[in-house]
Amino acid sequence: FANSNISPGAGMYPPVAKLNLAADPRKMRRIIAEDPEWSLTVVPLLSNLCLQHIVRNFEEKPILEELLPRHKDYVLERLSPSLPLQVTANLISDDGYWKRCCKQRWGLCDVSSYGHSWKRMFFERHLENIIELYIPDATDPKTVLGMVPLCRNYVKRLDISQLMPPIKEPQKSEDDDNSDSASDMGMDGPSMDHFDFGILLDKLNHLEEFHVVYRVKGCGMNFEWNLFEFTFRDCESLAKALKSCKTLKVLRIHQSKVDDEKCRQLVNNLLDHPSLRELNLSHNLIGDRGARAIGKLLNRSKLERLTVYDNNIRGPGAQAIAYALAKNSSLLSLNLRLNRLGDEGGQAIAQALLKNRTLKWLHLGGNEMTEPTATVLSQVLVQNNTLRSINLSCNRLGMDGGKVLEEGMCHNSSMVECDIRLTEVGQESDYCISQVVRNNQNQAHRKHNTEENLAQTSEHY
Amino acid sequence: MSQAGNLREDTEEAGPSVDSENPEERIAARRLRIAARSEAKKRQELGDDSREKKEIKEEARKSQHQVEQSEKVPLGLCYCYDGTELVTNIQVAADSRESRRQTEVEEAHRLRVEKLENEAKSSLEKFEEITRKWTVAKMKEIPQDLRDSLSSQQQLCALLIEDKNKLIHELQKEMKLSDDRYVKDLKKQAEDVDLMIERMEDQVKFLMGSYRDELDQIENSFEHERKILLTGNRKKWEQYTKERRDKELENVTQRMKRVEEYEVLLQQLRTEDTEEYNMIKIKLDTDVQILEQQLQQMKATYQLNQEKLEYNFQVLKKRDEENTITKSQQKRKITRLQDVVNNLKIKCANQEKQSREENQNLTDDYTRIMQQYKHMQKKMRHFAAIDAKKFEEVWLMNEEEVKALVEKALDTDRLVHEQQLGLAWQRPSLAFMERCGPLQPHRQTQKTAHQAISELLHSEVEREREGSEGEHSGTPKPNSHSLYFIISCKELAASHQHSMLGLGGRDDTEDAAYWEAMGDVIPEAKLKIWGALEAALDKYHIVLTERSKFITDTQSLKQQNTELRMLLHQYVNSRVNAELEIPPNLVMQLAPEGTN
Repeated sequence: FANSNISPGAGMYPPVAKLNLAADPRKMRRIIAEDPEWSLTVVPLLSNLCLQHIVRNFEEKPILEELLPRHKDYVLERLSPSLPLQVTANLISDDGYWKRCCKQRWGLCDVSSYGHSWKRMFFERHLENIIELYIPDATDPKTVLGMVPLCRNYVKRLDISQLMPPIKEPQKSEDDDNSDSASDMGMDGPSMDHFDFGILLDKLNHLEEFHVVYRVKGCGMNFEWNLFEFTFRDCESLAKALKSCKTLKVLRIHQSKVDDEKCRQLVNNLLDHPSLRELNLSHNLIGDRGARAIGKLLNRSKLERLTVYDNNIRGPGAQAIAYALAKNSSLLSLNLRLNRLGDEGGQAIAQALLKNRTLKWLHLGGNEMTEPTATVLSQVLVQNNTLRSINLSCNRLGMDGGKVLEEGMCHNSSMVECDIRLTEVGQESDYCISQVVRNNQNQAHRKHNTEENLAQTSEHY
Repeated sequence: MSQAGNLREDTEEAGPSVDSENPEERIAARRLRIAARSEAKKRQELGDDSREKKEIKEEARKSQHQVEQSEKVPLGLCYCYDGTELVTNIQVAADSRESRRQTEVEEAHRLRVEKLENEAKSSLEKFEEITRKWTVAKMKEIPQDLRDSLSSQQQLCALLIEDKNKLIHELQKEMKLSDDRYVKDLKKQAEDVDLMIERMEDQVKFLMGSYRDELDQIENSFEHERKILLTGNRKKWEQYTKERRDKELENVTQRMKRVEEYEVLLQQLRTEDTEEYNMIKIKLDTDVQILEQQLQQMKATYQLNQEKLEYNFQVLKKRDEENTITKSQQKRKITRLQDVVNNLKIKCANQEKQSREENQNLTDDYTRIMQQYKHMQKKMRHFAAIDAKKFEEVWLMNEEEVKALVEKALDTDRLVHEQQLGLAWQRPSLAFMERCGPLQPHRQTQKTAHQAISELLHSEVEREREGSEGEHSGTPKPNSHSLYFIISCKELAASHQHSMLGLGGRDDTEDAAYWEAMGDVIPEAKLKIWGALEAALDKYHIVLTERSKFITDTQSLKQQNTELRMLLHQYVNSRVNAELEIPPNLVMQLAPEGTN
């Protein structure tokens, strides 16, 4: 036992190691400067023995809060990261322990994206792992539900990067029992439904961010289209689950083949959500009807950021969003990259911006817009002074459109970013626009600095 | 700082005002005001320090300036923008490619759908033709024709299938092409990603370098500033330490002086104190001796007292024991007496009851007796009147008798004088003989007595009334009243007994004289004469009587003789005698001789 512990931590077992003192050159040394625990005292303190006992039997009898702070540190330092979570989850709040747990489990960890809380990181990643490896009908839902009481106080974000479909052939390998249960449950035909979030989301009362992808990671040569299905029942259960999760602020469902119907269903359940701030439905198949639903959602929620890039929204859908945008007063950022707005949609959005006074960030890249949109946008540049950033890249605005924009830009003083790459505008107007933008940037920077100084001086006194 | 202050004031002027209509603006204005106030207060508190701080601030501004400058370095910023542009260029290019691809795909999709529709239409036509021909074939009865038609049908079907196969082939080709394209895209994407990473790294490197330079510059400026500040502060510090040293020296000398003064004073005080101490010590010694003596005395007395007290204590103990005994006795006695008292109380109550009853009885008796008394009085008065009358009558009778006796005595005297003695008798003067009736006594006293009794009775009746009224108020009253009444009654009776008795008998002193005067009608000399006369007469009488006696004796004897003679005669004559042996005549003759 002692020999197995001959490592930097072995100093805590001197009496056991006494038998073969000479065998270990470390024991022969008087001082080991780099190990603060090292001492030649042959008889260990009774308190240390007790604490070691506590550490060894922590699973059966967790004693932690009753200990003195010093002893607590001692115990926490030595607890095994592989202790069952039922014991540790709500008892240990020390980040050091959870850091060890994370490091042991995943090796590479970036705690800054988890609010610098190792515990939160551990539980979020643990729960994500469980859900990502959950196979419907094959895995017991209790494995997920059992985690809920342990982790619900610590999980703020769930980033589900894959969802397993149910295994098709029940006769395959060891899933015989589960196939019975599946047929017992009265599923008609081979269901392709994924994990039902309805059982989980309403229990996580601190959840703020939820990212989900209905696809399988790294399937390699086992690729099948039905691994990438987002069924109606999935959509229904997900929508209900989202409705029940009142703390949710950020929702991202991407690369999941969300089409118009599913989009409408999701949006219907998200109407009047008390806390939703950000919605991301990029890389989906949302068309005009879905866009119309999103437009409805815009004015029946507190959305601040809406991202629907790489979808299939065309003119009518854009008009619906524009109509909502004209009346909206909460949206700060709108991303419609890689859609098919065309001039029809582009003009509608630009007209809406003439009325809107809150939007700051707009991305209309790759939307097949041309000169007419540019004309309206130049008007927007003149009149609207809340818009800070606009991205018009990959639109065929042409030389004339560039000139019109240049004119509009000359009267603008708020625009800090204006992306007109690959829009076939003339170099002259490109230069002029970039000059104006730079001027605006400098001004804004200066203003920002003076504001900061002011704040500093007021803080100083 | 002044600049900053001005700036702040400017902003304040330009900023929100308290009079604004917008509530948020008002709140902001108030907040600013509070901040300004607290600032002013702080400034006041700091006082001189603020001036120093101002200098420091002004110096610090240099470094700040440097910081601002380095923040404004256009090169870094430019590169930053350019770098990000370079990086995002890739994304934009990819976007444009993607959008182009999308349009292409859409176009291809559209063409494909068109083609498929055309194909479907043509194949449908062909299929209809085939089906139409089936009916024709059914009509045919000649096997040769049937075979021909069947073969033609087969050919047509084969043609249709070939068309379809061709289409499938084409589509498969397209799929392959798109697969290739997908692979190409993937490769391109990987390249893009690599390029992007490269560019990002370049940018990061460059920015790091430039920022490091800036940082060094800023640090240098700060260092410089710090040096200046340090030297300035050190100078100040030295100056202050010097001042302090001087002050300390001064203080030390002053202190030494004071110490010396105090030492002298202390010495003086010490000598004084020792003298005083000695004196007090002697005094206290003597005091101690006296006190010790006293103590001894006190001890002796104490001893004595103790003994006495012990004796007393013993005595008291004994007494106490006795007392306890007596106490117990007394207690017992008390209980006994208590019993007695209770008994007596009961008795007394009984007695009282009884006496009240008696009293009642007695009062009843009294009233009855009073009635009797009145009755008696009435009777008595009646009797008195009768007695007086009788008395007068008796008096008159007696007087008459006495007068007669006097007359008789006088007569006898005269007779004695004249007949016996032969003397001349002279009648004495007798005045009282003329008087007639009893002597008149005084009637006044009788009257007063009568009055007193009537008064007494009257008052008694009144008292009785009062007593009967007061009987309700208390029991002893009537008793005392009745007692008093009895006593007074007795007194009255005693005082008036005389007069009451003298009611019948009057003043009899004169009576005696009166009567004696009547008695003294015969004087002593005469009485002596009468005595002597009597004696002589007595003797004479005796002689006379003896003579009369003898005469009578002789007469009786003469009679006896006659009688005896008769008797003797009888006897002698009687026959009985004759019969007798010895005749009585013979005895008689013998007996008279013996008796005689």
